Amino acid sequence: MTIPVQRTPGDGPAMSLRGLVKRFDTKLAVAGLDLDVPAGSFYGLLGPNGAGKTTTLSMAVGLLRPDAGLAFLLGYDVWADPAAAKRLIGVLPDGVRLFDRLSGAELLAYHGLLRGMDAAVVDQRAQELLDVLELGAGNRTLIVDYSAGMKKKIGLACALLHGPRLLVLDEPFEGVDPVSAALIRDILQRYVAGGGTVVFSSHVMEVVERLCSHVAILAAGAIRVQGAISAVRGKRSLEDVFVEVVGGRISTGSELAWL
Amino acid sequence: MVVTFVRLKLRILANGLRGRASRVALFVLAAFTGAGLAVGGWLIFALPGLLDEGRTAGMLLSLGGGALVLGWLFLPLLFFGVDESLDPARFALLPLRRHTLIGGLFVASLAGVPAVATLIATLGMVDTAHRLGGFGAGTVELFGVVLGLLLCAAVSRSVTSAFATALRSRRARDLGTVLLAVVAALLGPLQIAALAGAERADWDQVADVATVVAWTPFGAAYTVGLDVAEGRAWAVPIKLVIVVAAIGGLLWWWSSTLERAMVGAVASSGPSSTVAGLPVSRLLFRWLPRNRFGALVAREVRYWWRGTRRRAILITFGVIGIFLPVMLAISGAGAGPMLLFVGALAAVNLANQFGFDGSAYAANVAAGVPGRVEVRSRVAGYSVYVLPLLFVTAVVVGIVSGSPASIASALGELTATYGVGLGVILPISVRAAYALPETTNPFAMSSGGSLAKGLLTFVALFGAIILTIPLELAAYVLGDVWLWIGLPVGAGYGAAACLLGSRIAGDMLDARMSEVLAAVSPHR
Repeated sequence: MTIPVQRTPGDGPAMSLRGLVKRFDTKLAVAGLDLDVPAGSFYGLLGPNGAGKTTTLSMAVGLLRPDAGLAFLLGYDVWADPAAAKRLIGVLPDGVRLFDRLSGAELLAYHGLLRGMDAAVVDQRAQELLDVLELGAGNRTLIVDYSAGMKKKIGLACALLHGPRLLVLDEPFEGVDPVSAALIRDILQRYVAGGGTVVFSSHVMEVVERLCSHVAILAAGAIRVQGAISAVRGKRSLEDVFVEVVGGRISTGSELAWL
Repeated sequence: MVVTFVRLKLRILANGLRGRASRVALFVLAAFTGAGLAVGGWLIFALPGLLDEGRTAGMLLSLGGGALVLGWLFLPLLFFGVDESLDPARFALLPLRRHTLIGGLFVASLAGVPAVATLIATLGMVDTAHRLGGFGAGTVELFGVVLGLLLCAAVSRSVTSAFATALRSRRARDLGTVLLAVVAALLGPLQIAALAGAERADWDQVADVATVVAWTPFGAAYTVGLDVAEGRAWAVPIKLVIVVAAIGGLLWWWSSTLERAMVGAVASSGPSSTVAGLPVSRLLFRWLPRNRFGALVAREVRYWWRGTRRRAILITFGVIGIFLPVMLAISGAGAGPMLLFVGALAAVNLANQFGFDGSAYAANVAAGVPGRVEVRSRVAGYSVYVLPLLFVTAVVVGIVSGSPASIASALGELTATYGVGLGVILPISVRAAYALPETTNPFAMSSGGSLAKGLLTFVALFGAIILTIPLELAAYVLGDVWLWIGLPVGAGYGAAACLLGSRIAGDMLDARMSEVLAAVSPHR
């Protein structure tokens, strides 16, 4: 893979969310959320299951219309000027199917052309991505037959293909084996070192602690803590902070005496 | 155990309605439509008894019952799908015996509007048998009518499931799939041809046909009461054996295809097979531009063949589209009106075009594909299959009906209705997209979805047919001149309507892309 072109971070934040609200039927999934992701940061969005991470990221990238609030990507209003905002970002949604009746190479070509890239550039980059991510450039297996980890990797390749300035990844390490996870970490770290910005959600402390320059902890649809990881963590471990912020455990597991 | 399945199904139905006004409205509409049809059917089937017409009763109960069974066979394949809110695959991990599972799913499938409506309608037959043959005949007929309902449900479940199993194999050369599709879809046109023939035949011939049908599983269950009334009580046990054997056979067939579906016996293309060529040229066909539009069209073209749901639609349409007009042409009834129907039916297949993609449509939303490009590329991808089919239809009909000179104008008529149909259906597809369940059965619909699909289909069908009336008038007025100008005028009319519709639909899509995505994503 070629070394990413050096990008100069813009002046403002790469992602800026203001007062986002989303209600499903009767449940308030996201309740007035504000978030600023500095350009050039490696930003981890932490939260327990059902905290609203996926809903927040979906609203931020233009997949889900918020009931109230604004989302800016690299200075563009996602919901007022979607074309400009979407052009510069790469997205890996979670819980969303890929066009899985295509092979890996076909899907990459599809995404590249959809993004308006030149066919020759698409060919070159797609083959490099398939090789680096060990998906096999000549492999004609349909994505529906891929393993969960391979699906994540081809999804990531689609998000990277057009060289976006901001990557929004929902649970990028879910279901990925340790070797591939290390590879993905390396790729993302090089991407950030080259001036890109990564926002990703996770509930694995260890990954966030190792990678991120900034974190935000999300619970019950609102940001509880956000900032540089050293400031958030202080002298404690990130897990201790997380459990304290989210609310400690009540049951101990000893109730299940029959188990 | 069976009760548990029925309660589960009703619970899923109720939860699906909770807090969703539009779904409740759809369900109420479905219930009213079902009630109307049920009462209408009841009246028709009860009429011979009220008029004391034994001979008419023999024909009506036998042929009407047979038509009901055929309806249960074809309407799910063509229009409505099957309500698979109880997805068999979800029971794969539970320690259930096969006959418990099949029995439970089968009885649960009766808990729905169509089954109840059918039962009420056929109760009219009980009334007829009762009036003609007294209490005994009525009781026997009641028994037969219930068996008939079981047969209807067994037919629709087993055929859609078998079709689904065959379609799941992703190899393009799967001849078995195509053959099964042809055979299954052929029965429908044959029935229509038989009816068309019946119009010209005298009543004695119809009575002969009815007598034969009464001894097949199609009519046997519905005629047992009349046998008692006419003093042929010896026929009752034989007919019951025929029907019970048919139900048993269908259920056995269903359970064996279900088993294959549950263990997911899918022949994958093999992980080791590789192919040369650059990614872009592997996605695109040579005749497509190497840009966004080309990529969208190429994916659509591949999806119409690789997706089981879409392939099922395509194959069913292909067979229906060619054989329906041909059968009518052969029977001498004239294929003209049927051409309108075929052209509109082709367009109607796109009514839920975004639903096919499901949440995968997120890729296009995230990339910000402009609405008009999106809609037009989908039309282009689908037309790659449909236009040749329409061409073949026009040629075959022209040859069969003995007027090759009309081929060009027939093709004009087909393309006009197809284009007008698209003009109507494209905005609907953006406005009324709905999620399809992610099961292995391409005919599966969620509760309520069946009616939505059916309603949209009929709205679009009638809309398209009404909007092409000016062309029909022109053809009628112009006579022979139409044979010459029919093709360019028809194609132009269709293309203009399609362009207008895709413009409206594209602009609507720009404004509600994320709403469409939310609507077609399951689980929301």
